[in-house]
Amino acid sequence: MSGQVAIVGAGPSGCYLAQALLKAQPDLIVDLIDRLPVPYGLVRYGVAADHQGTKGVTRQFARLFERQGARFFGNVAVGEAITLDALRAAYDVVVLAAGLSVDRPLGIPGSDLPGVIGAGRLTRSLYEHPDADALPDLGPRPLIIGNGNVAIDLLRLLAKTPEELEGSDLGAGPTKWLERQAIEEITITGRSPAAQAKFDAVMIKELAKLAGVTIRVIGAGASDDPAEQKKIDALLALDGIATGPRRVTFRFGLTPLGVEGADRAEAVHFTSPAGEETLPCSSVLTAIGFDPAADLPRDALVSLAADAEAGVLAPGLYAAGWFRRGPRGTIPDNRADAQALAGAILTDLAPDPSRQGAAVLAALPDVTDYTGWTRIDSAETATARPGRCRSKIATRDAMLSIARKDHGDAP
Amino acid sequence: MKLAILYGTETGNAEMLAEDLTAELEGANEVDCHNLADFAPADFAPDTFYLLICSTYGDGELPASAQPFAEVMEAEKPDLSAIHFAIFGMGDSEYDETFNHGPKRLAELMAAHGANQIGDRIAHDASGADMAEDLAFPWAEAVIEMAQDTVGEAA
Ligand SMILES: Cc1cc2nc3c(=O)[nH]c(=O)nc-3n(C[C@H](O)[C@H](O)[C@H](O)COP(=O)(O)OP(=O)(O)OC[C@H]3O[C@@H](n4cnc5c(N)ncnc54)[C@H](O)[C@@H]3O)c2cc1C
Ligand SMILES: Cc1cc2nc3c(=O)[nH]c(=O)nc-3n(C[C@H](O)[C@H](O)[C@H](O)COP(=O)(O)O)c2cc1C
Repeated sequence: MSGQVAIVGAGPSGCYLAQALLKAQPDLIVDLIDRLPVPYGLVRYGVAADHQGTKGVTRQFARLFERQGARFFGNVAVGEAITLDALRAAYDVVVLAAGLSVDRPLGIPGSDLPGVIGAGRLTRSLYEHPDADALPDLGPRPLIIGNGNVAIDLLRLLAKTPEELEGSDLGAGPTKWLERQAIEEITITGRSPAAQAKFDAVMIKELAKLAGVTIRVIGAGASDDPAEQKKIDALLALDGIATGPRRVTFRFGLTPLGVEGADRAEAVHFTSPAGEETLPCSSVLTAIGFDPAADLPRDALVSLAADAEAGVLAPGLYAAGWFRRGPRGTIPDNRADAQALAGAILTDLAPDPSRQGAAVLAALPDVTDYTGWTRIDSAETATARPGRCRSKIATRDAMLSIARKDHGDAP
Repeated sequence: MKLAILYGTETGNAEMLAEDLTAELEGANEVDCHNLADFAPADFAPDTFYLLICSTYGDGELPASAQPFAEVMEAEKPDLSAIHFAIFGMGDSEYDETFNHGPKRLAELMAAHGANQIGDRIAHDASGADMAEDLAFPWAEAVIEMAQDTVGEAA
């Protein structure tokens, strides 16, 4: 027997790790366990609806299950449906690749007012994550706090005209919601100067294609560093674009001090090198990073870790992806990480044939498998509306019922 | 004529295609497959026809696995005038200004060192409707046919 590995989380980190493990050792048993009935994590529920090309990596991940022998166990929340200890007892190796899903709080007075909405929460609702809240009203003048790629994704989606969403997989409900918001103005603020903004220049360049906006970039500054100046140049190229009525304003160097409003967010009070300033708004969207969910004791595990940097938490227990590194890095970073971690895991691996493996999951209710996902996937692409490439099944119950369909019919 | 598939990738799509193409060609040909990250320009051989597969990253740049290769090429300036290659590119038309610039750069780098390109550079679009292999298999067949009479002759 060659060893049994359970990977908690079937997002890009978990999938790339499974890929690297199975390439190096094809007879390994690799089980990907996810709290959702469907795989692929943020590739499905975070990568923007209008960036379908980026989602193309799922073709590689499908291979894992179709040809490389990995197995998918969906609808299993580790820490809830099964304890981490039980999983560790059943497998030679457990890898936590559960991501980081909780919006980092703004932590200033007024930040718990209605109308202050985290980017994670909002994108989950927009992209029809089965555990998402209903889409909140943003009103005509949302203000985005944050200067990473997630903030730019949100800005772009909110700024697009219905025609510009052709070919995306934005759902019917979210599409209507977006039109109903009747957004007039989007302000995006960053705490750092533009030179230190975390977004990539390509994300900014893409905004130059927006068809219905009037863009102003205020205080972008300048830099001696070519990489920084590239970002600034991309921003400056946006300034003055006037293709339509929706106003988009970039501001930098603004540190939020408080959210103001009687019973919902109506303005944000900032300080900056130039003094204090209050910007009115109809909602506040925060895109300032992510923290761990409460279901897995990440902080305790990392603080006791043998070598947290290398992803080694304890004997037989590892961490990968955002769960290991924090909420930084794109899909390719996870691939590089996963390849390094696979090497470490295979070096340490000491298979114990008495471990029960996936049998530990057998008694859990409504576990979905890869075949179930292919049924959901086919149903979603078959029912895509005009102008959309997919129509996501949005509730857990509907997913489970489609995944189960013709179970039992098989010989 | 031997075949060697060399791929440059960042998120693995070009690697998967390279593996698929290797499997597709293996029956009728002698074929090797390498990541550009593991290939030294000094190893180019005139009796081999090189099928390059390369994606695009950042702002029209070479993907991570092709960058060390490009650096060694720039540093060592090998004479590739007896070498023949064809190139298949991967990109995403969402990045319209820099669409498929990675493979374009790689082709230019090869040509700058004297290598001879066979056939046109094909561009796969991640936002398009075609599967990469549906474009790449016919491309490979066509360029291999074109290369039959040329590759190795000059050696
Ligand atoms: C809004 C947004 C947009 C992004 N856009 C891009 C982009 O365009 N391009 C790009 O390269 N990167 C993008 N990123 C970054 C990219 O998504 C991350 O680098 C990547 O998803 C991290 O992978 P991961 O596998 O560590 O985590 P995730 O993708 O979050 O996967 C974690 C998985 O674990 C599961 N899970 C969580 N807890 C449990 C549990 N207790 N038990 C079982 N399963 C569990 C989750 O359901 C999920 O499927 C974006 C990120 C966000 C937030
Ligand atoms: C951050 C990022 C930047 C990219 N930049 C470009 C680009 O400038 N031009 C292009 O044609 N494709 C670009 N692409 C698309 C990739 O080249 C395409 O998805 C390809 O299939 C990736 O292949 P790989 O997985 O082998 O790297 C980019 C993709 C990402 C995620």
